[in-house]
Amino acid sequence: MVDKVKCLNPIGIGMPVKTYPLAPRLEKIDGKEIWLSITGEPDITIPLEKRLKNDYPKVNWKVKRKYDLDPIPLTDEEMKTADGLIQAVCW
Amino acid sequence: MPYIAELEKAGIPTVLIDLEDQQNMVRQEALAQGVPNIRFIHASRTLFGEADVDRLISPVLDGLTRPLTEKEKESGMWQPPWGRVLFEGTLDEAEDFYQKTEWVPHPVNAPIAVYSDGLPVRIPTEERVREMLKGTSHKPDELITAQSDRLSGRGEIKKGDPIRFQPMNWTATVEKVAINAVMAGCKPEQLPVVLAIAESGCPIESTHSLGQWICVSGPIAKEIGMSSGCGMMGPGNPANMAIGRTHPIMSRNLGGAIIGVNRMPSISSPFAHGSCCAENADGLPPGWKGLNEESGYKKDESVVMIQIVPKGIRGVQHSPGGYRALQKSGHGGMARRLNVKGKPGPHNWLEYALPEFWAATEGPLNIIMIPEMAHHLYEYGFKSKDAVYEWLWKKSFMTLENYRKLSWVDFTTNGWLGIEPISGKHWKELPDDYMVPAAGPNSSGFCIIVGGGDEEVSQQMSGGRRPNDSNIYSIDAWR
Repeated sequence: MVDKVKCLNPIGIGMPVKTYPLAPRLEKIDGKEIWLSITGEPDITIPLEKRLKNDYPKVNWKVKRKYDLDPIPLTDEEMKTADGLIQAVCW
Repeated sequence: MPYIAELEKAGIPTVLIDLEDQQNMVRQEALAQGVPNIRFIHASRTLFGEADVDRLISPVLDGLTRPLTEKEKESGMWQPPWGRVLFEGTLDEAEDFYQKTEWVPHPVNAPIAVYSDGLPVRIPTEERVREMLKGTSHKPDELITAQSDRLSGRGEIKKGDPIRFQPMNWTATVEKVAINAVMAGCKPEQLPVVLAIAESGCPIESTHSLGQWICVSGPIAKEIGMSSGCGMMGPGNPANMAIGRTHPIMSRNLGGAIIGVNRMPSISSPFAHGSCCAENADGLPPGWKGLNEESGYKKDESVVMIQIVPKGIRGVQHSPGGYRALQKSGHGGMARRLNVKGKPGPHNWLEYALPEFWAATEGPLNIIMIPEMAHHLYEYGFKSKDAVYEWLWKKSFMTLENYRKLSWVDFTTNGWLGIEPISGKHWKELPDDYMVPAAGPNSSGFCIIVGGGDEEVSQQMSGGRRPNDSNIYSIDAWR
């Protein structure tokens, strides 16, 4: 008869996380205030900003620009009027 | 991700653009932040920017307008399943169980260990964990919390705040840490060091960073048989090896960090195995403080430093024989470069290594040197570590024209949109011949550790100390 042993669990304790639905999507983008939150990768974000503004001129585009990983957050006031946000590029 | 989660919860629709291989990481972080169905679009690592934008512009706008699916409308609670006992069976069966792997597809395409660093572990039986817990006065069910107020890269941490292990934001008890310490092969007397490492939250490298270097300072190093001598960062000493190994094991188990899923060091390095050593306090020249005293602790107090090594490591830049020739009689290539031909030492050997320090990247350095080389610096005239730090910092100045040619400065200057800290002017307003300290705004980022054997070598690692991110933890608080 081989002895059995109880082995303990090394995994960390995950606190329960409340999960949320996504925010409702926009019916159309024209006339909306949409933020482009730039975090680096200028090879993509420079042409992206140009294309968005040129191809969708009826959108009220606003930009937060940063080079590193942490975005510049919208202020409480800006959040009141923001209709959407594109975060680019996370790396 | 916390920011995107906050916006979604506030009713603002978002779309994330991320690199394709980061998909699993985005999913895991989104789940940890309570928005598991976040919408994201892949950017290319190689496609020319305009072509990539052609490809992704429609999907990005679609992400803002396409109606939500039933799944995306769901809310609820998520809790990772866990129980105190993970496995019951024979020791042989347990060994197989704890060596389990899971296949991680691209960018890994190989099996990755589920409970360990990849090597076999010592099985954490109830008895072994009970024995391990004798190494601390803290209760098994006590949560790992900050033992003092401190700054971290993520903000201010107050004494008593629960420590969150990244990337999954999990917590741990003293018993959980003891379980991981058993698995790494630690002895009970080493547990306070492991608990102090756990207090760091076991930070892991990002996509590019090379890993972590762990250094113990203070009397506990001798008490528990750590090595600060020859080969101190290599194999051989059980205490250094086992304590170092707890970092990757705790990252995996307490933080939920999985290589290629939510831990993405493109190549990684031996540092990520948990390189651990002790400081040789007896080898310090007169007046040079140990790491503990430099960090505001007393000489008889023990601390551990967990140092992220974000860029690179440099080894010996000279032959040890060449070094001896420099100091003994002023002969050889080192003496020629320092223009001290025929003059016996002491000479400032750092001057020889200097051209390499900021040749490719900026930032302060961690410098490990053997006691003899530290004593040469002392005899040369550096009566404290601070004097060396100040000298190094002054030597780091380079023209802005050259500074711009380094890779990381785009990151640290916020793409040149920020303010240069010394002049207080915008980077773009400064002339090409403006002198910039490549080692950072002051000398406080440098860190010297004395240790190792007799052969005259030094090792320098990028990173250094960060004024807004304390990486020193009291071991005595966990005794």
